[in-house]
Amino acid sequence: MLFWVIAAVLTLVASLAVLLPLAAKPKAEIDGARHDLEVYRDQLSELDRDVARGLIQPVEAEQARAEVARRIIRLGGEENSGDPVQRPASTSLRLISAAAVLAVPLISWGTYARLGSPDIPSQPLSERMLKNPAESSVDELVARAEAHLEANPTDGQGWDVLAPVYLRMQRFDDAANAYRNAIRLLGSNSDRQSGLGEALVNAEQGKISAEAKSAFDEALKLDAANPKAAFFVAMELAQDGHKDEAIATWQKIRAGLPEGSPWLEAVDQALARAEAPDVPVANGPSKDEMEAAASMSPEDRASMIAGMVARLDEKLKQNPKDAEGWMQLIRSYLVIGDADKAKDALKRAVSVFGPGSEQAKEFIAFASSNGLEVAE
Amino acid sequence: MTRKQKRLSVIVGGLAFLGAATGLTFYALGQKASYFYMPGDLATASLQPGQRIRLGGLVEKGTIQRGQGTTVAFAVTDTQKSVKVTYTGILPDLFREEQGVITEGSFGTDGTFVADSVLAKHDENYMPKEVADSMKAKGIWQESTNE
Amino acid sequence: MVEIGHFALVLALALALVQTTVPLIGARIHNERMMAVGGPVALTGFALTALSFAVLMIAYARSDFSVQTVWENSHSLQPFLFKITGVWGNHEGSMLLWVLILTFFGGLVALFGSNLPPTLKANVLAVQGAIGTAFFLFILITSNPFTRISPAPIEGRDLNPVLQDIGLAVHPPLLYLGYVGFSICFAFSVAALIEGRIDAAWARWVRPWTLVAWVFLTGGIAMGSYWAYYELGWGGFWFWDPVENASFMPWLAGTALLHSAIVMEKRSALKIWTLLLAILTFSLSLLGTFLVRSGVLTSVHAFATDPERGVFILGILLLFIGGSLSLFALRASSLTQGGLFQPISREGALVLNNLFLTTATATVFIGTLYPLFIEAVSGDKISVGAPFFDLTFVPLMIPLLLIVPFGPLLAWKRGDIWAVSQRLMFAFGAALLVALVTGFLIDGSSALAAFGAGLAAWLVFGALTDLAMKAGIGNVPPAAMMRRLAGLPRSVFGTALAHLGLGLTVLGLVGTLCFGTEHILTMKPGQTVEASGKLVRFDGLAEYKGPNFDEERAHFSLLNSANAVIGEIYSAKRLYPVRQTTTTEAGIKTMGFSQLYISIGDYGDDGSLVVRVWWKPFVTLIWGGGLVMMAGGAMSLMDRRLRVGAPSRRRKPVGATPATDAA
Repeated sequence: MLFWVIAAVLTLVASLAVLLPLAAKPKAEIDGARHDLEVYRDQLSELDRDVARGLIQPVEAEQARAEVARRIIRLGGEENSGDPVQRPASTSLRLISAAAVLAVPLISWGTYARLGSPDIPSQPLSERMLKNPAESSVDELVARAEAHLEANPTDGQGWDVLAPVYLRMQRFDDAANAYRNAIRLLGSNSDRQSGLGEALVNAEQGKISAEAKSAFDEALKLDAANPKAAFFVAMELAQDGHKDEAIATWQKIRAGLPEGSPWLEAVDQALARAEAPDVPVANGPSKDEMEAAASMSPEDRASMIAGMVARLDEKLKQNPKDAEGWMQLIRSYLVIGDADKAKDALKRAVSVFGPGSEQAKEFIAFASSNGLEVAE
Repeated sequence: MTRKQKRLSVIVGGLAFLGAATGLTFYALGQKASYFYMPGDLATASLQPGQRIRLGGLVEKGTIQRGQGTTVAFAVTDTQKSVKVTYTGILPDLFREEQGVITEGSFGTDGTFVADSVLAKHDENYMPKEVADSMKAKGIWQESTNE
Repeated sequence: MVEIGHFALVLALALALVQTTVPLIGARIHNERMMAVGGPVALTGFALTALSFAVLMIAYARSDFSVQTVWENSHSLQPFLFKITGVWGNHEGSMLLWVLILTFFGGLVALFGSNLPPTLKANVLAVQGAIGTAFFLFILITSNPFTRISPAPIEGRDLNPVLQDIGLAVHPPLLYLGYVGFSICFAFSVAALIEGRIDAAWARWVRPWTLVAWVFLTGGIAMGSYWAYYELGWGGFWFWDPVENASFMPWLAGTALLHSAIVMEKRSALKIWTLLLAILTFSLSLLGTFLVRSGVLTSVHAFATDPERGVFILGILLLFIGGSLSLFALRASSLTQGGLFQPISREGALVLNNLFLTTATATVFIGTLYPLFIEAVSGDKISVGAPFFDLTFVPLMIPLLLIVPFGPLLAWKRGDIWAVSQRLMFAFGAALLVALVTGFLIDGSSALAAFGAGLAAWLVFGALTDLAMKAGIGNVPPAAMMRRLAGLPRSVFGTALAHLGLGLTVLGLVGTLCFGTEHILTMKPGQTVEASGKLVRFDGLAEYKGPNFDEERAHFSLLNSANAVIGEIYSAKRLYPVRQTTTTEAGIKTMGFSQLYISIGDYGDDGSLVVRVWWKPFVTLIWGGGLVMMAGGAMSLMDRRLRVGAPSRRRKPVGATPATDAA
């Protein structure tokens, strides 16, 4: 409301700036020639000073005086033969004036109605931070905590609270950093170590790095029953190709888990993936499938590959946020020589992640590096 | 000299001066402008030894060699061909693998490009304009089309 | 409230439209009331633009991320100064600063223009209004700084780290004051063309405005050059980069304008030429804006660019340059010629100055735009850099610099070149001595260095000779001489100071380019390097945490011959985590007028550090000379005759004062 009042006052002031001079009493006509005369007089007096200082020789000064005098005479002539000033009819004058005064509110309000967003209030950061925490979004709460930690970087409790929040917000690098700070300031414990490991694994898109592995090992040392750490250690085994050992470990974890533990489902899924010969989530043909394909007749092989590609396609329709999967799919279509479908897949992949996004650019680069002609 | 002759001589003098300046300018443009090439263009370009050019492209992955004192060697590629470049000095802050770069200098006798300046200034797409244009013309690189 | 700023901006557009039309019609039909609208509208327009700018600044200061440009160019942890300067550290905000300065100058004309003929004033304000309208539209249509985001993000994306420097606080405002200041000269010229006559008052007004714009532009360029010098870490101060050239061209043309305006003002000669030059100077300012904002040329200044904006500015460019030049072609013949003069005279020297300066402007223009032209014609990509300008610009400047000391000593209308030469004998002798000393005692290897040093001395002593001669040295007793010196018009001091500053800049250039040394080497802690007699020891690395960056500082000690530490320097690599950008902070130690400049590079495999050490003799004089030139310009402005608002000592006719801000 206050906004509209201020806007109205501003408009009024602006309109008055146009209206008042138009409504004022007409001023006495000032002749441009009088302005010129003053300047010429000043030039003459300046000539005298220049002669005194030797900046111009007396003969030339005389000539210059004559030049100025001629200009003054010409000025007089102009004055006498000056055009009679035409006075337009006062109605047309009034019309122009009215149009000018009205133009100010009409143009400004018309344009602002198109461009402005009067309903969005100002949101200075400090005010947003002072709001009742119950009304704040998670982002705002996190920002508040960040501001606090920026001022008190040795508050280990703060880092400890913030770390799992980061993890849930998928800010994995920040989460890892927060866990590291918490460990440094409050000392190591099993939860913090396994949290650090999980953050690192996620930051690396599922790959278990050496640092993550040592974090999980540390966590298990502190609490041998930590399911998260145990789960990821098994995952690490699976990634290293020790599938059987991984399955054994997972089965052991499963046996030790209490009823209703959130880890039950994760372990079951991992077990199913490890035990099934099938492709995990959205992946290309597995090694076994490739070997099988090699011993088939060309027709069978083609139909098998086509089936696998179709399966991958179907999976991506259900789970479209799988960047790796999309690249697999694009390459697969190119391998079987179906450029149109590859282009279509590229288009879908780009639209999933939004045109212009980093991921979309990567898709396009990937597609063209695999020989797909990508038109603009 | 009459007044007319005087005026004429002033005008002729002025024109001669302008003519000389124009001649010098175009001579300098012919001599001192350096052309921009991508590694793939070099086969068709007839370069004099020691001729200054600008060579642009991407810094090829895994080719940056440091540790030879202050000289750095790397390869500039347009993803089809690549050229070895050496440079003595401090690389710009934005010089990275697989990012656009423009080097200026000339070819040495051994076919290595000796750069005396390396520019890695670019817009938010991490690509200098010349490199982006040339790579687009070759269909290697694409700009997102939603802008 | 952010939206108040947005609304004020829109309102300012509406007023700019009125300012363009009503006074113009008024001047055409000689209606006093309609002409009087210009002043109050211009002042109110300025007040509204200032309000809009202030609101945007508050949004930045309070980290209001519901405003898109704030979100894109600010961060809550940034130091307060950079939150403020961030306002114009981006395209949208800098364009708002541009129109703010434009309306500011329009307001100045409205305030101090009471002694201008009313039709001239009305036309000038109308042209100003037209430029304003075009740029308000540009801002609102393509680059609105008040675009909002809802819901607002909680943290901004940080200002480009290269811009997080005190240089951003000074350089763009000064540069824009210069660029846009020339719009007044442009408006005066177009107004004169519209009227078909050049009033004598017109001549009185153009020169002070040119001086104001020129002083700011000089400062802006000098500051920008120093900023690039210490911020980019390359040790260079001028790269002949398109964006630099874009600001240098209006400066060269503006310098020419400054000199031709003297002739016009004193002798009423060269009117048409001055008018054309005023149009060209502002056209070059607009061209500069186009080159920087459209991104058609690759430059070290990495602004975000947008084709739509480029096309819009190109349209503005064509409209104003094309329109004004066509008007010039139509009307120039109806303007009257002024006083006569001999080729050898003060006027003749100033014409020669203009010939050289405009030709130099043309070479820079060609060098800057030739790559665009070639690419359009043949598709080849070329770059025109320092070698081209060394071959064209420098040869043009040398004869110009040689004749500079003659100009102020020549008499008006008909000068005596021999008498002036005799007066300059002392300066010539001093310059010769400096050249010989430089050539034989300091460095005999380069004739160019000796010549350059001599040239610098010639300019400095030439300027001093001018003052001494005008004070009547040798003709009058010392006491009378001091009296005469004190009684000289300020513009005489201004001229001498500006020419002296030019000499200092030349001295700085010669010192740095001819006597500077550069060392590139790898260093381990404890190692020392000698650069032109200065011993520098690398002490080691240390971490440092800034408000929004982390720094790795390399500490160096400056040692005397006895290995005692006499100074410390540190150079750093700075990482800004929000943008994941690294910048190099050069370590600079100023000794007298010279500087020791250290920048660091990568680490070698063995833990050593690549270090680049420059010794730059007299380097600060390059910019110091610019400051002296500015002081000269300011001194000239204070001349009684040129004081803004008091061009003549005429009593104001009763009732001639237009209503001031009616609001």
